[in-house]
Amino acid sequence: MAAESAQQFAALEAQAQVLMSVFTKAGHESVAPSVIQPADVFLDVIGESLRARTYVFTDPDGAELCLRPDLTVPACRLHIARYADPATPAKYCYNGPAFRFQPQGADDTHPREFRQAGVERFGDRDAAAAEADTIALILKALEAAGLKSWSLQIGDLGLFRAVLDAVQMPVRWQKRLSDVFWQPDAFRAELQRLTTAPGAAAKAVPADLVAVLKAGDIAASAAGIHQYLDAKAIEVIGTRTVEEMAERLLDVIADRSAPPLDAASAALIEAYVRVKGPAKSAGEAIAKLLAGAKGGTGAALDAYDRRLALLANAGIPLDRVTFSAEFGRSLEYYTGIVFEVHAPGLSAVSPVAGGGRYDGLMRAAGADRDVTAVGGAIHTERLLSVLKGGRS
Amino acid sequence: MSKLTLAIPSKGRLMEQTTEMFGRAGLTVSKVGHARGYRGEIVGLPDVDVAYVSSSEIAAALKSGSVHMGITGEDLVRESMSDADTRLLFLKKLGFGFADVVVAVPQWWIDVATIGDLEAASLPFRRVHGRWPRVATKYMNLTRRFFASKGFGDYRIVESLGATEGTCSSGTAELIVDITTTGETLRANGLKILDDGVILKSEANLLATNAAQWTPELEAVRAQIVKAMQHSASG
Repeated sequence: MAAESAQQFAALEAQAQVLMSVFTKAGHESVAPSVIQPADVFLDVIGESLRARTYVFTDPDGAELCLRPDLTVPACRLHIARYADPATPAKYCYNGPAFRFQPQGADDTHPREFRQAGVERFGDRDAAAAEADTIALILKALEAAGLKSWSLQIGDLGLFRAVLDAVQMPVRWQKRLSDVFWQPDAFRAELQRLTTAPGAAAKAVPADLVAVLKAGDIAASAAGIHQYLDAKAIEVIGTRTVEEMAERLLDVIADRSAPPLDAASAALIEAYVRVKGPAKSAGEAIAKLLAGAKGGTGAALDAYDRRLALLANAGIPLDRVTFSAEFGRSLEYYTGIVFEVHAPGLSAVSPVAGGGRYDGLMRAAGADRDVTAVGGAIHTERLLSVLKGGRS
Repeated sequence: MSKLTLAIPSKGRLMEQTTEMFGRAGLTVSKVGHARGYRGEIVGLPDVDVAYVSSSEIAAALKSGSVHMGITGEDLVRESMSDADTRLLFLKKLGFGFADVVVAVPQWWIDVATIGDLEAASLPFRRVHGRWPRVATKYMNLTRRFFASKGFGDYRIVESLGATEGTCSSGTAELIVDITTTGETLRANGLKILDDGVILKSEANLLATNAAQWTPELEAVRAQIVKAMQHSASG
C-alpha cells in the first residue's frame, strides 16, 4: 500500500471528528477496543475462512491472536468486560483501524489497513426501533461528512425464517434450511432433497440402529445408541455427544416417512430468495408470494411493513432503499436485518458503510446468553475517496 | 561451473529407500566426510552436490530455490505451496513413501459418512457447544483447500504436530486430517475415513524447482539423473 500522505491523514482525522460528533450527540459513548484480539472468538464465529482474510498470528506464549478484522467483536468483548450482566443496555461508538488481508492485493478501496467509524448498541428492548435508529444514525453521519448521494440496501434473515413459517414444514426442515441459507449451493441441494426424496438418507442408517431409536425422545434414543455401540465394541470418543447424534438420527428417521415438500412451497421459497428491488415494490412482491402460502402471510409481512415504517419514521426516504432477500448470505454472524450503504463511484462490492443485527455474537464473545445487538460501521477511507470525487 | 544441489531425506526409511533407488539407477550416493555429516556426492556425477535434509525442509528448500532438485513426499510439497504445479517439476513418482492424506472422524459417528454429513452435523454441534468442530492436523493448508473445494467451512483447525490420531479421544479435536497407509492406526484409535475424505494419495517424488538458478549445463545434469531414474524399476 502506498504510504499515507500527511494531507490524507489530516483529511481522515477531520472527517472522523465529524462522524464521531454525530455519534456522541446521539448518546453513544466513545470507546477504543483493543487492536489485538484473541483469534478464538473470530474463528469460532466465522470459521476457518476467517484466516483467508485476517492477520492471525501466534505470540511468544503460543496464544493465537489476530489484528481485529472489524470492531464489532472487540466492542462486544469490551461490553462484556465492563458489565457482569451482558444485557445491560449500552450504546458505543468508535473510530479506529481494522485489518484485512486482501488476497487480490491491496488498493485504495480495499486497503489491508483501514479505519472504521461506527456504532454498536446492546440490550435494547425494542430491537426493531434500535435497528432503524442505527441505520438512520449511520446515514446522518455520512451526510454530515458531506455525502449527498447514497442508496441503502437491506436484507432480513428474520424475514426468511418468517417465510419458512408461512410455508409450513417440519421444524427440523426449517432449521436445516436456515442453517444452509449461507451457502447457496447447499441451500438449493437441500430444497431439492426435501421436494424429491427426503427419506433417502434414512436408508443408510442400519436397521438394528433404527430399532433402538424412539421418536421424539432424545434421551431414550441416546441410551439406545449407547447400548448399540457397546454391543459392537465401538467406543464413544471426543466431545460430540451421543444426544447430538440421536437428535440428528431422529430427524433422518422422521424424514423416512415424511411426504416430500410440495412443489408449490418449494417454488415459493425459491421465489422469495430471488426477491430484489425497491423496498416498497419488494414488499408487494412478497405479499403476492405469500398470498398462496398455507400458513398465511402472518408474521412475515407484518415484520416487513413494520420495518419500512420504522425506517420512514427515522427519516429515511424509502425511495432510496432497496431490498434483497438474498443479501446477507455471505455475512455469517448476522441474525436479522443487514444493511449496506452504497455511494456513487464505488463498486457494488465496496459499500461505504454496513452493519446489521447480530444477536448471537455476544454469547460467542463470552456472554452467558444471547443479547440483542445491532451496529454499523463506516469505511472511512472509502467515504473520503467518494467525497474527494476521487477514484471509483 | 556451479553445481546442482540435490536434497535427499536425511534419515529413516525414506533415506534408505532413496539411496536404494539411486543405486538401482546406477547412481551411487555416498556421504562426504564423516557418516553423520549432511553433505554427499554421486559417483560419476561430479557436478552434483547432495544435501541431506529432513523431508519437510526439502519442500521448503524447493520452494525457496536453495536446492535445485529434491526427493520428498507429495503431501509435504503440496502442504507447503498451493501452486506446486507451477513452481515445481514433478519428474518421477518413486514408488515408495506411500501415504494417503485423509479426513477421519470417530467411528461412532454413524450418521457421518461424507463431507456433506459432516456439514449437517457441524451446525447442531455449534448450537450445543458454541463453537465449530475442531480439526486436528499438521496439514493446515491441504485441509483448508480441500474443505473449501467441497464448500465446507464450518470447522476450526487446531495444529497438531504429532500423535494426531489421539486428539479425538483426548478431547482436543472432533476430527482429524492425517496421513495413513493401511488405516490400522486410525482404526486402533476409534476413527474411520470418510467415504469422500481422501485428500491426496501421496508418495515420494523426484522434483525440480523453477525457483533455483538453472544453466544449460545444470539442465543437462538434471536430464542425466532423470534418464537414469527412468531406467530403474521402482521398488
